[in-house]
Amino acid sequence: MNREKVVFSFFMIMALTLNFGFFTGDVDNPAHHNVYELYAVIIINLIATTLKFGDRSQMGAMLLATSLVAVVQLISAAIVWMSAVHIQEIGLTPEVMSTIVSLSGGAMLANIISVMMLMIETAMMRH
Amino acid sequence: MSIVTSLILRQMRTPIIILILGYSITILGMVLTPGIDDQGNPWRMSFFDAFYFVSYTATTIGFGEIPYPLSNAQRVWALITIYITVIAWFFALGRILSLIQDPTFREASRKNVFTRNLKNIKEDFVLICGFGETGHALAQALTERNIRAVIIEQDNGKIKTLSLIDYPVFVPGIQGNARDPEQLLAAGLKSRYCKAIVAVTASDETNLKIAISSKLLNPRVNVICRSEIREFEENMYSFGTDYVINPFASFANVFSMAMQAPSLYLLYDWLTGVPNTRLTSPIYIDKSHWVICGYGRFGQALHPHLNKYNIPITVIDPSEDTRTAFLSHTENRNNDFIIGTGFDAHTLTLAGIESAVGLVAGTDDDSNNLSIIMTALELNPDLFVVARQNKQFNSLLFEASNADIIMQPSDIIARKIRTLLTTPLLVTFLNHARNQDEEWANIAISRLSGVLKDRRPNTWTIRVDENDARALYQVLDFGRRIRIGNLLQDPRARERKITSVALLLRRNQQIILMPGDDVAIKPGDEILYCGTPDAERSMKWTLNDLHSLNYIMTYEDMPDSYIWHKIHLYMKRKERRKTPRMLQQTPQSKDRDA
Repeated sequence: MNREKVVFSFFMIMALTLNFGFFTGDVDNPAHHNVYELYAVIIINLIATTLKFGDRSQMGAMLLATSLVAVVQLISAAIVWMSAVHIQEIGLTPEVMSTIVSLSGGAMLANIISVMMLMIETAMMRH
Repeated sequence: MSIVTSLILRQMRTPIIILILGYSITILGMVLTPGIDDQGNPWRMSFFDAFYFVSYTATTIGFGEIPYPLSNAQRVWALITIYITVIAWFFALGRILSLIQDPTFREASRKNVFTRNLKNIKEDFVLICGFGETGHALAQALTERNIRAVIIEQDNGKIKTLSLIDYPVFVPGIQGNARDPEQLLAAGLKSRYCKAIVAVTASDETNLKIAISSKLLNPRVNVICRSEIREFEENMYSFGTDYVINPFASFANVFSMAMQAPSLYLLYDWLTGVPNTRLTSPIYIDKSHWVICGYGRFGQALHPHLNKYNIPITVIDPSEDTRTAFLSHTENRNNDFIIGTGFDAHTLTLAGIESAVGLVAGTDDDSNNLSIIMTALELNPDLFVVARQNKQFNSLLFEASNADIIMQPSDIIARKIRTLLTTPLLVTFLNHARNQDEEWANIAISRLSGVLKDRRPNTWTIRVDENDARALYQVLDFGRRIRIGNLLQDPRARERKITSVALLLRRNQQIILMPGDDVAIKPGDEILYCGTPDAERSMKWTLNDLHSLNYIMTYEDMPDSYIWHKIHLYMKRKERRKTPRMLQQTPQSKDRDA
């Protein structure tokens, strides 16, 4: 058993599941989307990205790219949230909420791709 | 991704994860810990407030308790925040610092810088293997002529001195073993700009290996090798090394030229020496008794050239074996061999130094050589002294020693390679000059010294084509007649001459030595000129600028006498008639000339 693989897979899948948890619910209803969940998704995604730093293999590069996509989208979602609540002070209106949720939906797609590639890699290296 | 970025990222993985974890835990804790706002209501930080607070606390900026004074519970968590995040930052910074100081990392980043520099060279360059005295002299000479050089050297200390030397053009260098083909490739062997590779490391074996690798990996590239041992030399030639230079054999050749044809030697010395140094005066070597101290590679190379004059020669060498080997050769029967070192007056007197005309101080130790010269000159001040100088830094001592010819291997090699790489036509000139007689050389010398006054000239080649001589080529294309002497006119004031002499004209396979000023130039000609750097600049101006060329050419030297005038007009008409036809049939006319 490869410890690095376990840790990395854990963070990858954790990022996807948390992302899914945040994403589900009505797209414009703030009650269905928890801020702590978004926070956790961002942290887990950041860690998953960092774990792929310095990996010079083709697969490593692809995984780094998809993780970076997810991080960029999630941080944009967080910035939208922050600017709505603290800068513009309009609160979580349905428009703001749907922007945040759709950004996190994009991030989820990137996370799905990461997990799929992870599965393909595992399936190909059966030994 | 370059290896350097990848190294940094791999090393920074753990510190970054620790930072992320530290931040996430403390931010979350800050959000969850209850506080009180300015009205006394229960209040908790939002993620935005918490991120702001943790960011300025972790980086030890410390703006204070924002937006409201913290509750005791929040202060407890703030304490934890400080210790976790500040330590995480120290860890990250420490890792970066230790990474920067890591020898492997430094090596990788140096290689990275070198590769980038190499990529930026978008013109022909010469790869020099070995940065010893020869390598340095060569890099200096090449960069002075605006030719780019790249250096690979095994010794890390030597490569570091490279950055301290101020060459006219930047010379990138890499530390690496040139025996390793991978490292040669990294140094740019396969680059399409790599014109030549010069192997001048101290070891013949390494030079041989470099020659083999280069010929196999990039057959297009010119290979020039230094070799001091005959077997290696033959081996190098066997697989197509373009030039193998043996400093001892080269010097012996030059020395024999000096004995046989002093004017030719003078011509060689003037044209191949470092430009803008003082011209040397002619030397005459008497063919009488010679003493050779040291019968190593140097003595052995010189001996046959002296021996062919059938003059008495005394050899001094400390080795018994050398003596047996020396005396076993039948052609050496007339020579004496004394066992000794030669720097004591006793041995030298025994060798008959008082009546000798010449002395070769040719051991491989500079102190011994200097001591031999000083002792010998005390016994016989009229001696002609040939000195072997082994180390560059002893130059001052040898110059002060009153030796007539100083032979320094690295200088000989640098001189030869510089000529080969910068002006290959000069090599052709010297080879052809050797077949001429002494009278020809005397005339050449007097012509050169008349123009050059007392400074060694630069040599340069012009090629009459669209790239190197745009204006000249165009004008010749119109059918105008331009002579070699026309190019020697000053484009600033046409009645003046620039300080320059034409040495050689090559037209197809035909070679004309010292062409006269009235020889007409044809497209495709290659002409070798020598003169001051200023003259070279002026000439480049004439060659490429149509106005300058017109200015020079409108001043035509019309013949005064009736007959010559008629001939001149006739020639001109004939040439005009010929021009259009020639333009159409350029390929055939070339064949005919060949």
